[in-house]
Amino acid sequence: MAYPYRHERETLVIAKHFGDAEARPLAGYRERGGYQALEKALSMTPEEIVDVMKASGLRGRGGAGFPTGVKWSFMPKEKKGPHYLVVNADESEPGAFKDRELLRWTPHQLIEGCLIGAYAMRVEHVYVYSRGEFFEPAQIVGRAIAEAYEAGIVGERVLGSGPRIDMTQHLGAGAYICGEETGLMNSLEGRRGQPRIKPPFPAAVGVFGAPTTINNVETLCAVPHIIANGADWYRQWGTEKSPGTKLFNVSGHVKRRGNYELPLGFPLRDLIYDVCGGIEGDRSLKAVIPGGSSVPMLSADEIDIPMDYESVAAAGTMLGTASVIVMDETTDIVKATRRMVEFYAHESCGQCTPCREGTTWMAKIMRRIENGAGRPEDIQTLLDLGKNMTGTTICVLSDSTAAPVNSSIAKFREEYDAKLAMAAKTVGTPDSTAATSALAH
Amino acid sequence: MAERRDWAGERGDFARLSEAEVRGESYVGERPLDGGVPGSACSYPYMLEEKQPEAPLFEGAYQARFEKIMSRYPERGGALLPVLNLAQEVRGWLSPESMDRVAELLELSPMYVRGVATFYTMYNKRPVGRHLIQVCTNVCCNICGADDVMAAFVEATGAEPGEISGDGLFTVIEAECLGACGFPTAVQINSRYYENVGAADVPSILDDLRARDARAVPGWKPDIPLHEVAKDPATARLPDAVEAGRGERRAPRDGGPK
Amino acid sequence: MAEQATETVTATIDGREITVAKGTRIIEAAEAAGIGIAHYCYHPGLSAPAMCRMCLVEVEGAPKLQPACVTPVAEGSVIRTEADKPREARQGVLEFYLQNHPLDCPICDKSGECKLQDYTYAEGRKRGRSLEPKRVLGQDDFGGNIVYDGDRCIMCTRCVRFMREVAQDDLLGVVQRGSRSVIDTFFEEGLDGSPFAGNIIDICPVGALLSTDFHHKARVWDLDRTPSICASCSQGCNISVDTRDNVVQRLRPRANSAVNSYWMCDYGRTNYEWMNPAARLERPHVRDRRSEAVAAGSGAASGAAEVGWEAAIIALVDRLSAVDNSASILAVGSPFHSNEDNALLLRLARRVGGSVHAVFRSPRAENEDVLPGFPTLVRRRDLAANVRGLELLGFERVGDDEARGGLDGADAAVVLVLGDPLADRDAGFADDAELFVYLGTVPSQAGARADFQLPVTSHAEEDGTFTNALGRVQRFWQALRGPSLARPAWQVLGVTLAGLGAGAAPATAADAFLSLGEENGAFAGLSYAGLGMRGSQAQGAEPVAAGAGAGAEAP
Repeated sequence: MAYPYRHERETLVIAKHFGDAEARPLAGYRERGGYQALEKALSMTPEEIVDVMKASGLRGRGGAGFPTGVKWSFMPKEKKGPHYLVVNADESEPGAFKDRELLRWTPHQLIEGCLIGAYAMRVEHVYVYSRGEFFEPAQIVGRAIAEAYEAGIVGERVLGSGPRIDMTQHLGAGAYICGEETGLMNSLEGRRGQPRIKPPFPAAVGVFGAPTTINNVETLCAVPHIIANGADWYRQWGTEKSPGTKLFNVSGHVKRRGNYELPLGFPLRDLIYDVCGGIEGDRSLKAVIPGGSSVPMLSADEIDIPMDYESVAAAGTMLGTASVIVMDETTDIVKATRRMVEFYAHESCGQCTPCREGTTWMAKIMRRIENGAGRPEDIQTLLDLGKNMTGTTICVLSDSTAAPVNSSIAKFREEYDAKLAMAAKTVGTPDSTAATSALAH
Repeated sequence: MAERRDWAGERGDFARLSEAEVRGESYVGERPLDGGVPGSACSYPYMLEEKQPEAPLFEGAYQARFEKIMSRYPERGGALLPVLNLAQEVRGWLSPESMDRVAELLELSPMYVRGVATFYTMYNKRPVGRHLIQVCTNVCCNICGADDVMAAFVEATGAEPGEISGDGLFTVIEAECLGACGFPTAVQINSRYYENVGAADVPSILDDLRARDARAVPGWKPDIPLHEVAKDPATARLPDAVEAGRGERRAPRDGGPK
Repeated sequence: MAEQATETVTATIDGREITVAKGTRIIEAAEAAGIGIAHYCYHPGLSAPAMCRMCLVEVEGAPKLQPACVTPVAEGSVIRTEADKPREARQGVLEFYLQNHPLDCPICDKSGECKLQDYTYAEGRKRGRSLEPKRVLGQDDFGGNIVYDGDRCIMCTRCVRFMREVAQDDLLGVVQRGSRSVIDTFFEEGLDGSPFAGNIIDICPVGALLSTDFHHKARVWDLDRTPSICASCSQGCNISVDTRDNVVQRLRPRANSAVNSYWMCDYGRTNYEWMNPAARLERPHVRDRRSEAVAAGSGAASGAAEVGWEAAIIALVDRLSAVDNSASILAVGSPFHSNEDNALLLRLARRVGGSVHAVFRSPRAENEDVLPGFPTLVRRRDLAANVRGLELLGFERVGDDEARGGLDGADAAVVLVLGDPLADRDAGFADDAELFVYLGTVPSQAGARADFQLPVTSHAEEDGTFTNALGRVQRFWQALRGPSLARPAWQVLGVTLAGLGAGAAPATAADAFLSLGEENGAFAGLSYAGLGMRGSQAQGAEPVAAGAGAGAEAP
C-alpha cells in the first residue's frame, strides 16, 4: 500500500514505510533492516557497486530516465580534489509530489542511498538540495542527518569503518528551474539558478568546479534495495529497458489521488480506473498528462499504454516523473493549458531569448483566447512559437512550454475553436468589453 | 459550518494518524530556536520576531546559525541562499540594508546579492503581512478549484493579492506548484502546508491563525509590535508551531483548538 | 618567425574550407573566414553565455542547432549558417525580441548602428504577428552619463559581464527573472565613480544603454568616423573620433589588443570638447619687438601684422638666419602634438643655435585607473598623449603637475614654443629674448607678444603619430578641418628648415615620420605605412609599468 491510499496491486519497495511513523527515526529504520545495504556496500569496491547499479538498469527518476549506473561511472576514478553528490529534492514539476513523501517518511532510506552512492563515486560531501518550500520534509531530513551523525553513520568514518562522508541539507528559495541539474548547481553555489551550457558536464566540472553527480531523491532511495538484493532481484519488475518499480503520483480528477508504487509498464488505464478508483463523480475522462506538466497530453482514447519509458515515448509523450494528471470532462483544456504556460513563463530563468520572450508571449495569447478575444490566426502563431522554442535553448524549459500547447491544440482543437467562435461573436458588439480588456492586460 | 482541514489528515490513511506522525515531531512540536540540528545548514524562511532596523542582522542564536551555515560550504558564496533565508527569518523580508549586510558578510557585491535575491520567489523583496499565504493555483490544484480558494483568501483577508491586509496580519499571493499536487488545493502559510483546502475552509483557517498568534507570545495583540513583548526570543514560540503535542492523537475538531 | 606548434583542425563553414587552431570557436573561425554570424550576447572581450540564441548554426551530425559562440570547431565538421534551420531560428529569435522591443528607431540614438535593426532588416519577418501590448518599463538614470532604457533592452547581459569581468566593479546585475528581468544597479547606487563604465554604452547591441553626453546630438549615419588616438593620457587608447559638420560629437574605442583591447576610460571618452575650441589662432602674425620698442618710445602705433604664410616664413627664415650660431635656444614642445611636430621643432632649434634646452610641460593626475580585467589599459597619471614621445626625442620634463612653471630663468636668446599655451606666463614672458616664435592652436597672452605667432593644427586636424607610455608608436588620422590658415606644425617647421637650407621640406606626415627615424634611433626601422592601424613598438622603449608613471616621481 502507498500513501495516503494503498492498493493491493502495488509493489512496495521504496514506499514500504509510507505511513509508518515508527520507521522514520533511526532506531525504527534499523529495526526494519535499515543500513544493512550500506554495510554490504562498504564491503564491496566502488567499481562493484557501479557494476551492480548498471546491471540493475535503474533509470534516473527525475524525468530524463538516464541509467543511474552509467551516470555514476562518468565520475573520475582518480581523485584530484573533492567530489560531490547532490540530491535533487527540488521537486516542483506540476503534478509531481513523490519526493516529498519519500523525504518525510523515509529520510534514512535516502541517507543510506546517498552514502552508498557517495562511497561508489568517492564523494566526501553530499548536498541535499531541497526546494525552499519543503520546510516540513526539511525538518525531518535535517533531524535524520543529525541522528546519522550522532550514530557515526555519517561523518568522520561512515559506519565506523568507511571513508569520511559529510551531508548537508541546502534549501532553495523558490525557483522551478533549479530542478534542472545545472541550474541546481548554480543555485547551490549561491548564484542565480540559471542552467549552464553543457559541456562541460557535471561529472567533469560540477558544483564548486568539482566532479559532481546529481541524482533524484527517488533514484537514490532505490539504491539500498538494489545493493541489498542484487540487480536480478530488481529486474523482476518492470520491462527489459525500464526495470524496477516506480512511484506513480496521480493528481487531478481521480477518486484516490496519491502515490502508488507499481512496476514500470503498469497499464495507465488500470492506474486510473483501478488503483485510483476511477474518475471523481464517475464522470468521463477527457485528458491525461502522464509525466508531469512538461510532457504532451494524451486524450481519453490514448490511455491504453503501459507506463514504461519506451511505451509512453512511443505514444508521443514521455514518462517523465510518472506524475499523472487526470482531467475529466468538466476540464477547460484551454484554461488548464494557459495555466501551465503561465507557470513556465513565471519560472523561465530569462537567459535564452526564445524562452524568456516566448513563454510570456504564449501566455498572453492563451489568456486572450481563454477570455474570448482570440483570433483564428493565433493558433498558427502558437504553433510557430512552439517550433521556435523547441531545441533552441540551453535547457528544455521552453520545449516544455510548447509541449502542452502543441498537444492540446492537436488533440482538443475543438475547445480552442469554441473559444475563437465566442470571440468572433463578441467582436463589434457592446459585449466585447471582455475581449478588449483582455487585450489591454 | 465547514470543517477546517489544515493538513491532509482527513484523507485516506492519514485519518488514523496524528499530525505529528504525518509531519514529524520535529515539525509539529516546539521548534528549537537554534534552527534545527547539526549537520543541516538549512534555515527556514519565516519571521520569528520583529526587530528594530538598527539591530544587528544576526546576533545570539542567529549568529551561531550563521556560523554553522558558513562551515558547510567550500566557498563563501555557496552559503548565500541559506544566509538570505536566515536574514529573511530575522527581518521578515529582505530590505536593501539586509542585502547589503549579507553581501558584506559573504564578501560579495551588494548588486550580486540583489541579483540572486530577486531571482528566487521566496525572498520577500518588500514587507509582507505577519502571515504569508501562498495559494497554489497551478494546474493540478487549479482543475480542482484553486482559483476559488485564492478568491476566498483575498475576500476573507480584505487585501489585494500581494498587499498587506489592513490589520497587518495577512498577505495573500498566488504560488506556483508547491509539490503537493495530490492534496488540492495546497496552501502554504508561512512555512506550513495546508492541504486539501477548499474555499469554505478559508475563514476558519484565518481564525485559527489569529488564535495562534495570541498564544504564541503571551500578552501579544495584533496591534502591538512583537518585539515589544518578546524581548527574549527564547520565551517566544514560533507562531505557526502546532500545539497539539508531540505524537498525540489530535482531538476531534470542534471549530479549532481552544 | 618562430614556428608555432599549434594543433589545427579543418572544417567547412558554408562550403568554405577553413583551418584554425584547435579550440577555436565557430563564431571566431567564421569571422576569420569572412563569414559573419549574427550575434548579440557574444563579445570577443567578454565571456560567452550563449543565451541570445542568435548565433545558432547547423553542425552536421548534431541533433540540435549549436551556439557558434561557445562550440569549438571539430575536425572535419560541416557547419552551415546559411541553411533553413539556422535561418528560421534566427528569424524566430528576432521575432521574439520584437514582441517587446519598441519600434522607436526614429528617436533612438542607436538607430543606424543597432544590431537588432540590422539583423531584422536583413532577415526578419516583414510584419510582426504580436497583438499583445508591449512591456513598458521606462528609463532609469544609472548616473555616470548613462541612461538605461528597459523597454529596448534585449537582455544580452554584455553590460553586466563587462562590469563584472572587465571593470571588476560589480555594480550591474540582472534583477528578477524571466521576462520580468531588467538590468539595474544596487537600488539607487548607480554607476557614478566607476571609471570605465562608459564602455557598456558601446557594447550594448541596441539602444538600451544611452550616453547622456551624446543624447540626440547626431544621427549616427551622419557621423564621419576617423581612426585616432585618445590624447587625454599617455596610454594612447585607439579610438574613433566621430564628427559631424567638423565638430567632434563623441569618442569611441577602437580595438587594439596591445593597448586598450575594446575599451577606453570615461575620462578620455568625455574629454573632447577642447578639440572643438571656439577661439583659435587662425592666421600668422608677425611683429618685430625690437623695432616696436623704439616705435613705442616715439609714440608710433605698434602691433603684429597679419600676413600670409609665404611672407611669414620668409621673415622667419630671415630672422633665424640672423641668430648667432652659438646662441642659447629654449625649445618648448607639447605632449599634445605629434612626434613629427615636436621632432621638427627640435631639429629647427638645433639648426639655429648652439645650446638647445628642449623642455615640455604636461599635466599629471594624482593617481591612475587600471582596468582590472585588462590591466594593460591604464588611465595614466600623465594626462597627455605624447609624453613618452617627447622623452624619446630628448625633451626634458619641467614644471608641476598642472603644467605650470619650469620656464623661469629662461634667458635664452631664442624661444621656440610649440603648442604649450603658456597659460601661467604673462605677456612679458620672452621679452628678454632676441626672438620669440610661438606655434599654437589657441590664443595665448604670452604668445600674443611673440615675434612670430603661427597658427598650427591640433592633432585632430592633422595626420601624425604619438608614442604611448608603452613605447608604442601609433598613427592618428585627420578628423577635423583646421581653421582658416592653420597648418600642421611639422609642415611649418619643415618649410622653415628648408628655407634655412636643411634639405627638402616633408610633403606629408609620412615624410616627416621618415625623417624622424633617420635622426632618432627609437624610431629607426619603423615605416609610417607599417604602423598601420595598430602601431609598432619603438626601439628600446621599455613599456612604462602601471604604477610607476612617466618621468621622475615628485619627492
